[in-house]
Amino acid sequence: MKAPPAADIDPMLVFDRRLVGRHRQRAAASLDRHAYLFEAMAEAIVERLGDIARRFPRSLDLGAHQGGLGRRLLAGGTTDFLTSCDLAPGLVAAAPGLRLAADEEWLPFKDGSFDLVASAGSLHWVNDLPGALIQIRDALAPDGLFVGALLGGATLAGLRQSFLEAEGRLEGRAGLHVSPFLDLRDAAGLLQRTGFAMPVADLETITVSYPDALTLMRELRAMGESNALRGRRRVPLAPATLAAVAADYAARCPAPDGRVYARFDVVTLTGWAPGPGQPVPKRPGSATARLADALGTVERPLT
Amino acid sequence: MPPTPVVDPRLLEILVCPVTRQTLRYDPQTQELISDAARLAFPIRDGIPIMLVEEARNLDTPA
Repeated sequence: MKAPPAADIDPMLVFDRRLVGRHRQRAAASLDRHAYLFEAMAEAIVERLGDIARRFPRSLDLGAHQGGLGRRLLAGGTTDFLTSCDLAPGLVAAAPGLRLAADEEWLPFKDGSFDLVASAGSLHWVNDLPGALIQIRDALAPDGLFVGALLGGATLAGLRQSFLEAEGRLEGRAGLHVSPFLDLRDAAGLLQRTGFAMPVADLETITVSYPDALTLMRELRAMGESNALRGRRRVPLAPATLAAVAADYAARCPAPDGRVYARFDVVTLTGWAPGPGQPVPKRPGSATARLADALGTVERPLT
Repeated sequence: MPPTPVVDPRLLEILVCPVTRQTLRYDPQTQELISDAARLAFPIRDGIPIMLVEEARNLDTPA
């Protein structure tokens, strides 16, 4: 018996990146009417940049879709020189600035090319997030900033549950339908581990209501966010199973007026490429005054 | 015939081969960015460099 190719058994490869690219490419015709999640992420990123009193001459919009984030960066005067890249050439063709197709896992940029790398709603499809973050850090000039918003946390947890329940009950097995997502608790550590200074990670939940679960799935498809798991089920769901998923979802995630809601957790990663003059924590034991004195109290040993 | 869209030289300045991270050679004739180290030619379509390995032409495979 011939052994399967190594790529087929690599547990590190969660996503089918070619399929991610095809989903995005296919979304090019519909995305402008369905980009609300990415627009919300872009808005949050721009707001955050507004709090930082600095301009970023050279910026990269990484996983740009059709350039919602890049256009905001240019309009807000955050940057002068914008590069937009996306896995799907058909998407990035509509983005502003210099455009190219690139894979977040194989960045084609010289070290130190950018003062800002920003990304809205793309990095949750990367197989090797630590590897991508290291490449982003390298693409940044010293003291350059990375801000990346991606889906994480409990995003679409209700839909995952409904698939498990309905598929398990009707077909006696459960396929993979919803991606595993980055946990907020791991996010800041990940930034630190990949060499970013002053790492910050936070989470914001966006709740959207839809007429029903099937509409939600169609919306996900229109934004290029269909299931691209390598271990996904290849056989289409039976109509009865799909109907059972929708029924379970209606009970699990009810919204007013007979609608359903979907939860999207946006994890935003912020970190700086190391540079001179950045604040760094002091080494343990380097204090020259006692904390107890500063607090006007008496230090007692732990009992 | 409309002129062929050209790649912005400022983009060529910052691009490297995604596989080897070596510099690229621009061939205006074929509209390709060539990585001699990786033996790959990345196409430029409508002025947009396609820096994806699966879209690149292998220089050692006869066309």
